[in-house]
Amino acid sequence: MLINRKYIMAITGLFLCIFLIVHLSANFLLLLPNNLAKEAYNTYSHLLRNNPLISAVSILLYLAIIFHSVMALIITLDNKKAKPQKYFMNYAQQNSSWNSRNMGLLGLMILIFIIVHMANFWAKVKLGYGPELPIDSKGQIDIYSVVVTTLKNPFITLFYTILSIPLAMHLHHGVQSAAKTLGLYHKRYLKYVALIATFYSCVMGLGFGLIPLYIYFFSQG
Amino acid sequence: MRVNFKIWRQESHQEEGSFKDYSVDNITSDMSLLEALDYLNETLVLKDEKVVAFDYDCREGICGQCGIFVNGRAHGPHDNTTTCQVHMRSFEDGQTIVLEPWRARAFPIVKDLIVDRSALDRIIQKNGYITVKTGGAGEANSILVAKKDADKAMDAAACIGCGACIATCKNSSASLFTAAKINHLDHLPQGKLETNERVMAMVSQMELENFGSCSFTGACEIECPQSISITEIARMNNLFLKAKLTKE
Repeated sequence: MLINRKYIMAITGLFLCIFLIVHLSANFLLLLPNNLAKEAYNTYSHLLRNNPLISAVSILLYLAIIFHSVMALIITLDNKKAKPQKYFMNYAQQNSSWNSRNMGLLGLMILIFIIVHMANFWAKVKLGYGPELPIDSKGQIDIYSVVVTTLKNPFITLFYTILSIPLAMHLHHGVQSAAKTLGLYHKRYLKYVALIATFYSCVMGLGFGLIPLYIYFFSQG
Repeated sequence: MRVNFKIWRQESHQEEGSFKDYSVDNITSDMSLLEALDYLNETLVLKDEKVVAFDYDCREGICGQCGIFVNGRAHGPHDNTTTCQVHMRSFEDGQTIVLEPWRARAFPIVKDLIVDRSALDRIIQKNGYITVKTGGAGEANSILVAKKDADKAMDAAACIGCGACIATCKNSSASLFTAAKINHLDHLPQGKLETNERVMAMVSQMELENFGSCSFTGACEIECPQSISITEIARMNNLFLKAKLTKE
């Protein structure tokens, strides 16, 4: 059903939005002075890895990403079928925003980012790929050093920073669209949602975009 | 003034179509676009060529019969108007005006610029009405309707079914049309009684007719001649969710 699919997109999307808040909050630990950041970040990730509730939520998270992506693909293919012939001339920019029309493209960029991001960290820590991970003075995995070493590569930092732009654009339309899909129709509340979406997407874009740059220039593993 | 029309010509749904160029002189700026097309057709008749087929009825912007994708916009360059309300003063002397039919899988081309919009009728045929026997006109005050509810019902009922929302939507979604029809009845006590069945039936039919999903780009509300708000779609989603959750 057309609307059922959009409910799934909206619910998984909003769940991922909440995850991003948690993720960015944790990333702010990286901005502390080197020694403090190292201890705080390693302890934080150690606690996460050993908490069964977090393990359960992380499965939900993987499922949300998969459902959101697969459903997006199905919806996009069906939408393309619904308009088999494009217009010769179409000034769509006069009636709608670019990001609202290109959510699939923006989403694909974010998916590529997620895959690279997971290869950079998740695969090393969770699956044990790559060289053996360093251990800090408390005997915990020194994720902080892994993060800093990875982001000392200018290409990776640039990739992270640039990809925060499509993320912000996707979130700006996605949050508002999800609210409407789930049936919020009162104009006053939709105005609040628009304000929240703008604030939220800016914070996420700037946060995820600038932290890698900060690490590249100022942090030491 | 002189304009160059670039018009989609197609004999029928089965046959391939293509653009054809026509230069027309002696156009005046106060002609409507449809009058300019009438004028072009007159010259084609004199030359023994086939006239350009296009839909219209009232030419007053109220019936919803006309609909052409004019220079990259549904119903032409202005927001919230019908094709018949576009005048030649909106274009410049010597300009090329591209005319295309509504493009959607659910709207097969009948001929040239005319498409078959009966998919919209079939959506209305699925519970887009109330099932009480009407008989003679009842006492107007026997069912009280608050002014604000009557206004909201009218806002939605203003939909003239022209199909611009579907034409402009990148997914050819009929959400704005279907939402308008559902909400217009749901705002009134007579219609509210059957909202759950109605929203399920009409949304199912919308899907059967091969329309796409709503991405909330907002293009539909800009092109809608009746300025029907995109919040109508959000309200339909709300009613649909309620209907699903309370289904017996």
